[in-house]
Amino acid sequence: MPYVKAQKSKAYFKRYQVKFKRRREGKTDYRARNRLINQDKNKYNTPKYRLVARFTNKDIVAQIIHASISGDIVLAAAYAHELPRYGLEVGLTNYAAAYCVGLLLARRTLKQLEMDAEYEGNVEATGEDFTVEPAETRRPFRALLDVGLIRTTTGNRVFGVLKGALDGGIDIPHSDKRFAGFNKDSKQLDPEVHRKYIYGGHVAAYMRNLMEDEPEKYQSHFSEYIKRSIEPDTIEGMYKKVHAAIRASPEAKKSEKAPPKEHKRYNLKKLSYEERKAKLIDRLKALNSAAGVDNDSDEDD
Amino acid sequence: MPAGHGLRSRTRDLFSRPFRKKGYIPLSTYLRTYKIGDYVDVKVNGAVHKGMPHKFYHGRTGRVWNVTKRAIGVEVNKQVGNRIIRKRIHVRVEHVQPSRCTEEFKLRKLKNDQLKAEAKARGEVISTKRQPEGPKPGFMVEGAMLETVTPIPYDVVNDLKGGY
Repeated sequence: MPYVKAQKSKAYFKRYQVKFKRRREGKTDYRARNRLINQDKNKYNTPKYRLVARFTNKDIVAQIIHASISGDIVLAAAYAHELPRYGLEVGLTNYAAAYCVGLLLARRTLKQLEMDAEYEGNVEATGEDFTVEPAETRRPFRALLDVGLIRTTTGNRVFGVLKGALDGGIDIPHSDKRFAGFNKDSKQLDPEVHRKYIYGGHVAAYMRNLMEDEPEKYQSHFSEYIKRSIEPDTIEGMYKKVHAAIRASPEAKKSEKAPPKEHKRYNLKKLSYEERKAKLIDRLKALNSAAGVDNDSDEDD
Repeated sequence: MPAGHGLRSRTRDLFSRPFRKKGYIPLSTYLRTYKIGDYVDVKVNGAVHKGMPHKFYHGRTGRVWNVTKRAIGVEVNKQVGNRIIRKRIHVRVEHVQPSRCTEEFKLRKLKNDQLKAEAKARGEVISTKRQPEGPKPGFMVEGAMLETVTPIPYDVVNDLKGGY
């Protein structure tokens, strides 16, 4: 093999500047974070809340967070894996589930701050653009949407979370340009299409499509739906019930967890400062007594 | 061509970012709050071009007299000719650090208040004034051996050998 000059010399490593840890992990966009967190100095310690919506392969995480120097503080959180408690067991990462999670988070935070009676939000999800109106006593809870690293295309599920939170009664500055059902040519949101997505209409349409054309694929793809005997026509009713259940009792339930098992320790435990000092004194004493010398000045100080 | 005395002249090294600290600045600078009357150090951050103070103020400490949306007003002393003027500048928060010059004083204040409250509870009067370190107390020198040092007669042969 011909001699290849080593690309990364010692000098390269010496001069290399690592990016921030979360940037190396590819989890945080610092440019966006900077702009979301920066609070006007003449507002001093007023927290700036952000509605964080993140999607994993099987779950949705929605949190209301405000930043501090020792770390961000989460005010309230809602997950898609909590939705079975409200009657939704399948399709936990689709647009309709995202709407439910946003709604759950909004109702939960308002209940926590005791504002839920004042700010009902939009009880009947119509798909139209809804903004919270300020009530008499308190101004509405304001948060900013933090999408993270996703590409904000029209009809993305993060905007499902946004819509759910808006209808729940949180004030979030937004425009309807990226909701599902926004027509680029006419530059208008079609509330019918958006409503269809909120109630899982797109899932129901696909189910009907498959039932006619490819029944085997329907059986394999929607097996969980079939197991719970969910038909395309019953989907909308199911989501309506879930929304009502969420509004009825949004508070978080503490999960019962068994105390973690004690594991056998495979590596040596690091000693504390006192333990190390004591060990040193013992060693020196042993040395002194072994050598048979009795020193005036004692070694331990 | 002559050197030029522009606003940022002679700041090539002063305003440059330290080694391996270039690029994005940590967000804790934006999260700090400043109140009027706080002491702050002005330290220019070359990565942010807006709201930079003049190079004279780099390293000065002053008090906050104004707080705006993204910047802070700092009152700094500057010697002009034969007098010192209190100059008021506005600086963005990226170029400002909270000063620790009064930290020792504040801690001492708290501790003194606590000591005074305790003494009052006991009913005795204490002085919380700081005393300068006095002269060291006298002591007896121990374990000293007396060694008399006398000069050795000059040995021409040996010393010259080394010197040649």
